[in-house]
Amino acid sequence: MTNDNDKKTSIDKLLEALQERAKELNCLYQVEEILNEPDESLDVICPKIVRAIPPGWQYPHVCQAKISLENKTYHTPNFMETPWVQSADIVVQDMVIGTISVYYTIEMPQADDGPFLKEESKLIKTIAERLGHFIMHQKMRLVVRDWESAQHSVTEHKRGEWQVVLEMLKQTDRNLYISISRKMLNHLCWSGVAEAEKILRALGMDQKVTEEELLDDWNRPHQRRGRSFSADISAAAFRIASDHLSDEEILRLIQKWVQEDKLSFLVQVVNRNLSLSEVADAIRRYHHLAPDEPEIPSPSKRGIRVSLIRRFLSDGLQYINVAKHFVDVRDFYHLLHNVIFSAESHGKLGGKSAGLYLAAQILKRKSEDDDLLGNVKIPKTWHISSDVLLHFMHYNDLDEVVEQKYKEINQVRLEYPHIVQTFKSARFPADIVKGLSVALDDFGDSPLIVRSSSLLEDRMGAAFSGKYKSLFLANQGSKQKRLDALMDAIAEVYASTFSPDPIEYRVERGLLDFGEEMGIMIQEVVGKRVGKYYLPAFAGVAFSNNEFRWSPRIKRDDGLVRMVPGLGTRAVDRLSDDYPVLVAPGQPGLRVNVSPDEIVRYSPKKIDAINLETNSFETIDLVEFLKEAGYEYPAAKEILSVFKDGNLSRPSGIGIDFDEDDFVVTFEGLISNTPFLKQMEAILKHLGETLGMPVDIEFAFDGTDFYLLQCRPQSYSDLSMPAPIPKDIPHDDIIFSANRYISNGKVPDITHIVYVDPAKYGDIADRQTMMAVGRAVGKLNKLLPKRQFILMGPGRWGSRGDIKLGVNVTYSDINNTAVLIEVAVKKGNYLPDLSFGTHFFQDLVEAHIRYLPLYPDDEHIIFNAKFLDRAPNILPDVLPENTDLDGIIKLIDVPKSTGGKVLKILMNADLDEAVGILSVPSAEETRPMPLKADRVEKQSENFWRWRLKMAERIASQLDPHRFGVAGFYVFGSTKNATAGPGSDIDILVHFRGDNRQLADLQTWLEGWSLCLDEMNYLRTGYRSTGLLDLHIITDQDIAKKTSYAVKIGAVTDPARSLPMLRDPRRG
Amino acid sequence: MSGKSFNAFEMAQAQFDHVADILDLDAATRALLRVPLREYQFSIPVRMDDGHVEVFRGFRVQHNDSRGPCKGGIRFHPQETINTVRALATWMTWKCAVVDIPLGGGKGGVICDPHNLSAREQEQICRGWVRQLARNVGPLADVPAPDVMTSGQHMLWMLDEFEAIHGKKYPGFITGKPLGLGGSLGRTEATGYGVIYTVREALKQLHIRPEDTTASVQGFGNVSQYAIELYTQMGGKVICVSSWDQTDQTSYSFKKVAGVNLKELLDITDRFGGINKAKARDLGYEVLPGDDWLVQEVDILIPAALENQITGENAGKISGKVKIIAEGANGPTTPEADEIIKAKNIFVIPDFLANAGGVTCSYFEQVQCNMNYFWEKDEVLGKLDVKMTSAFLAVSALAAKRKLYMRDAAYVIAIDRVARACRERGWV
Repeated sequence: MTNDNDKKTSIDKLLEALQERAKELNCLYQVEEILNEPDESLDVICPKIVRAIPPGWQYPHVCQAKISLENKTYHTPNFMETPWVQSADIVVQDMVIGTISVYYTIEMPQADDGPFLKEESKLIKTIAERLGHFIMHQKMRLVVRDWESAQHSVTEHKRGEWQVVLEMLKQTDRNLYISISRKMLNHLCWSGVAEAEKILRALGMDQKVTEEELLDDWNRPHQRRGRSFSADISAAAFRIASDHLSDEEILRLIQKWVQEDKLSFLVQVVNRNLSLSEVADAIRRYHHLAPDEPEIPSPSKRGIRVSLIRRFLSDGLQYINVAKHFVDVRDFYHLLHNVIFSAESHGKLGGKSAGLYLAAQILKRKSEDDDLLGNVKIPKTWHISSDVLLHFMHYNDLDEVVEQKYKEINQVRLEYPHIVQTFKSARFPADIVKGLSVALDDFGDSPLIVRSSSLLEDRMGAAFSGKYKSLFLANQGSKQKRLDALMDAIAEVYASTFSPDPIEYRVERGLLDFGEEMGIMIQEVVGKRVGKYYLPAFAGVAFSNNEFRWSPRIKRDDGLVRMVPGLGTRAVDRLSDDYPVLVAPGQPGLRVNVSPDEIVRYSPKKIDAINLETNSFETIDLVEFLKEAGYEYPAAKEILSVFKDGNLSRPSGIGIDFDEDDFVVTFEGLISNTPFLKQMEAILKHLGETLGMPVDIEFAFDGTDFYLLQCRPQSYSDLSMPAPIPKDIPHDDIIFSANRYISNGKVPDITHIVYVDPAKYGDIADRQTMMAVGRAVGKLNKLLPKRQFILMGPGRWGSRGDIKLGVNVTYSDINNTAVLIEVAVKKGNYLPDLSFGTHFFQDLVEAHIRYLPLYPDDEHIIFNAKFLDRAPNILPDVLPENTDLDGIIKLIDVPKSTGGKVLKILMNADLDEAVGILSVPSAEETRPMPLKADRVEKQSENFWRWRLKMAERIASQLDPHRFGVAGFYVFGSTKNATAGPGSDIDILVHFRGDNRQLADLQTWLEGWSLCLDEMNYLRTGYRSTGLLDLHIITDQDIAKKTSYAVKIGAVTDPARSLPMLRDPRRG
Repeated sequence: MSGKSFNAFEMAQAQFDHVADILDLDAATRALLRVPLREYQFSIPVRMDDGHVEVFRGFRVQHNDSRGPCKGGIRFHPQETINTVRALATWMTWKCAVVDIPLGGGKGGVICDPHNLSAREQEQICRGWVRQLARNVGPLADVPAPDVMTSGQHMLWMLDEFEAIHGKKYPGFITGKPLGLGGSLGRTEATGYGVIYTVREALKQLHIRPEDTTASVQGFGNVSQYAIELYTQMGGKVICVSSWDQTDQTSYSFKKVAGVNLKELLDITDRFGGINKAKARDLGYEVLPGDDWLVQEVDILIPAALENQITGENAGKISGKVKIIAEGANGPTTPEADEIIKAKNIFVIPDFLANAGGVTCSYFEQVQCNMNYFWEKDEVLGKLDVKMTSAFLAVSALAAKRKLYMRDAAYVIAIDRVARACRERGWV
């Protein structure tokens, strides 16, 4: 019983404490509200504050408050002084000008400080401080107002105006008065006025130190001499000034110094690295001081701007350099309105926020000259400063999680799910909760996206983007529910800082020790409700540089837009099962897909949206969705075309009949009937020019307005960086070079070249043989190691009908190649057109297969026909049934023909140069490893080495007698040193035992397989159902060379035998 | 690059020579039919979007018009050659003749790659093409149609230019137009239904009732879908159909011994005839490798997908039960496969005949346009049935009488009809 009672009391106590915190916060909030009226007089403000105080204290019914200010007092009704009091001074410019006091009318139980809680002491201090600031603002405004009226009078009274000003300063702001006097004295001194010099010297402030002194003790500080500045000296200074300077000149100087002084507090605050809330206060103060004054460029202002940019946005020099021209001090006032931070926060907004903010500022400024930019909007956005992550962790005693990054990667991976859970169940500090609550009130129940905006994203640009989470929230239901969901999402984004992928990436890039912090960007999702879904009419990404040119008429700077109906998520990522619509803003007429069949085939079929009923992000079937809700869909006429009888047409005036018509996403109306692409071109151009680099933007259109969602430099994913092209490559190592229509990329480690000789192919006399070439290529595509071979052929790959122009293949015949190369060899005077991959262009783009056109007849181009001719042709070994084609198709095993070298293709769109060279395999170089190489397997020494070691281990443990095994082989990627993190281990077992032994063997290896899979998961994050791919062959198979038996002693890619366990009895 | 390289026109001539030998044609007829009657080669200057002018090369070949106005498509192709156009025009002459419609053979094209052209530029090419040929084409002289990389849109631009030049309406100048702008109903069904009309007649001759037969179909596109529809209506049972899987980049065969249900399959099929594998499994279909359609124990095989599907390698796997192969696709059977099929004594309805429903329907479109009166779909399909049936009967009768392989018989009858028209007109 007693225990229960105790427990109950402790819970009660806890509850009480919590209620107290809520009351206090509420009180503070109210005071803030009251002080947010800068125009109200103190006589109005003070009584309000006095009334607001008691509810915040523990015993409001016996609580009273009083403010004494200089000669006035304000207090609660029926006020009387009692001994139970708590007070705080009101300080303005380091001078105590009053007090706030809180009294209890009767004696209350003892707490931290008499009857008062320690939190209450803090609270009263805070209120006094805020009131002090407020009074100072008011005073300053007064000064300015008087000053302005004095200025007016300047024109009227010719004499004495600066004296009026000075007198006023002396009355209202003594510090400023002194400071100005000092500046005047300095000014006079520098102007060579002897009297001034004399006064200064008397003060010991003469800056003129003799040369000898300087030389003599240059590394000893000069002695500071002299006495303090007084009102007399001030008067003297101005007396001298009036003798030497004109009235106008004196007035101008005073004016200038007063102006500068107005900023000085900001300079101090910003440069002293105070907390965000202090900086925010200073900015608020500045704003209230001079809300309408146009900003005049002055060195100190520029300095403040730069400091503020550095504090809030980015410390990147390039960024600051641009931003300082587009961001004013007052812009920060508006920006800070939407920033959530803890009291002690020192953080920044992070990369994504900084990028978007600057882009928006640029567009706003440029829209004055360019109407096309006028209607670009930015979705409503709130930010959380980056170090709140650390406060959040500290608040929940999770500080040690920061060290997570120094753990072994498999440990990081194992622990990550727990970190996510811990973060999600952790609590946010009260001030952050309050901030989020205010933000939610601002957002209402619009769906939200919570995006990471980390410092590394800022520093590394796009290369680091996508490493952290972005989460959509439907934001529906009660406020509490929405707030919980928002905090949950933020916690999850926070947790992603410690997910294994970015940590692994940082390890590889040497960024581990960087103090990563995570800003958060909470953005309203652009869109409208359609049926039960919420989505924009369309969205997408746009790039300054077009790295996927489908026609030689498209220039690189014609740009590229990838867009989809609904949320832009489907345009951002490469899709495996769907296609976004591609268009080049500079060449809107040249489409990737031309015939109705192509257009329909490569049109988006799915749509991403937020389901407002289930509160979830969903991918839905476009046709089903539009059949249900098409009539509500915004801008449907601009997005869709009607497909009828094999023809596509833009919807007529009546629009689309969603029940009857067959419709296809083409964006035809948008492209040909609206200024959308012109606008996109203008945005890309202005941002690109201003930022001095190509950009990559995300956008969305809700049916009414166009929104910019993100802007960052168009750097490249690891796979499409412009590859540096060495200049000193030995001529013999170059297989080909190219200098037309080059895209970016680097394709290392090509082991096989499939070369369809253009001349020989052109000589084929019958269609059957040409078809056979296509089929043979298709077979090679299945047999050769994926993404490690290239296809080189004449003219147009994928020709249909007139297949003399190029090899007749479909996408499935080439979908495993790393690069598709078209060779345009002159025939007489005639240079054949290349296809640029048009027959399957979008498939190539989505699968990241490179395309490269070669023009061997061009000048300054190398086409190493000698190598291609002389290297041994292994086609007959690989495809014995196609031996007859060995004159036409050449299959080159590069390492075999070159003594172990591989082909490496380097493509650089910046230089418009590409080269294919023989070099050592990259596993022998040290190079950074791409993190998420979706379809292209990443290769690293570790992966195959580890696999080979494990295979050797298995073999060494395998008892051949027990299991009836005659031979144990490894082949495929493990043997070829090309295994990636998700590769399996191909094992070939030569089996001679009985059925029972076979079953035992399979069980035994199954155990290994699962075990290795788990290990591999911990190492790489890739999981499968087992790592071993087991192939059993018998004597019969070997005799008949059936199945995988051909791998034993094969010409290409033979399986490698591994030693098995030796009979211990035989030693 | 010598004469020994592949030349489509030489191939067409060789084919003609072979049939001419069978028909024992005289030298003059051979000389006339081996080469086109008329060829136009001309330049089309086009002002491009950026202001510069580019000159495109255009062609029209009218191979033979002894049986009526020439008919044939217009191709936009970056490496179009006159020899390709000649060959295709020649084949059009035979194709119109085999179904016995009163049209000759033509073909045209422009050397260009629409992927490098904006819509406006393509429109200018279309209009330029018509301006160059306005006096030499027309509903009573030469009737173009869509072909490689041209569509109904291109046809409308060309029609508009033609009518502007002549100052009158000539909807019969061109075919392949959209419905409502001179297009014909029944075009979607025409090819697939046409295949089955010939299958029906072939079964009659073999004295087999359609209700007692089963079939396996390759492909699930337009042709195949309508073929299955009509065949099922006739009482036949399709037990296997293959379809291309875009995600897996391979094809699968879908088998249901009780007979596939077209409607339920269409519900799980995308626009390109791709059947959803998982859903098909749920519906009780067996999902087999793509080539398995060929080895089914059925009476009828209908390859309706791509060329070169039945080859010397796989033709041997065709079941002994198969009695008819109806070629819905163009050139699905290789010459080596033909030999094996002959040996198996399977009745082949050659592509040339089996899929002539399409060109017949184009002819109907032109007829309707010329009289500016458009038939209901039933009327179009009824007339199609009559045309296809009589064409089939003529070919099979000749094959039976002269002991010819069906493929040869089709060519023989077509070339004979054209040769006779030339003779009767007194040309040769």
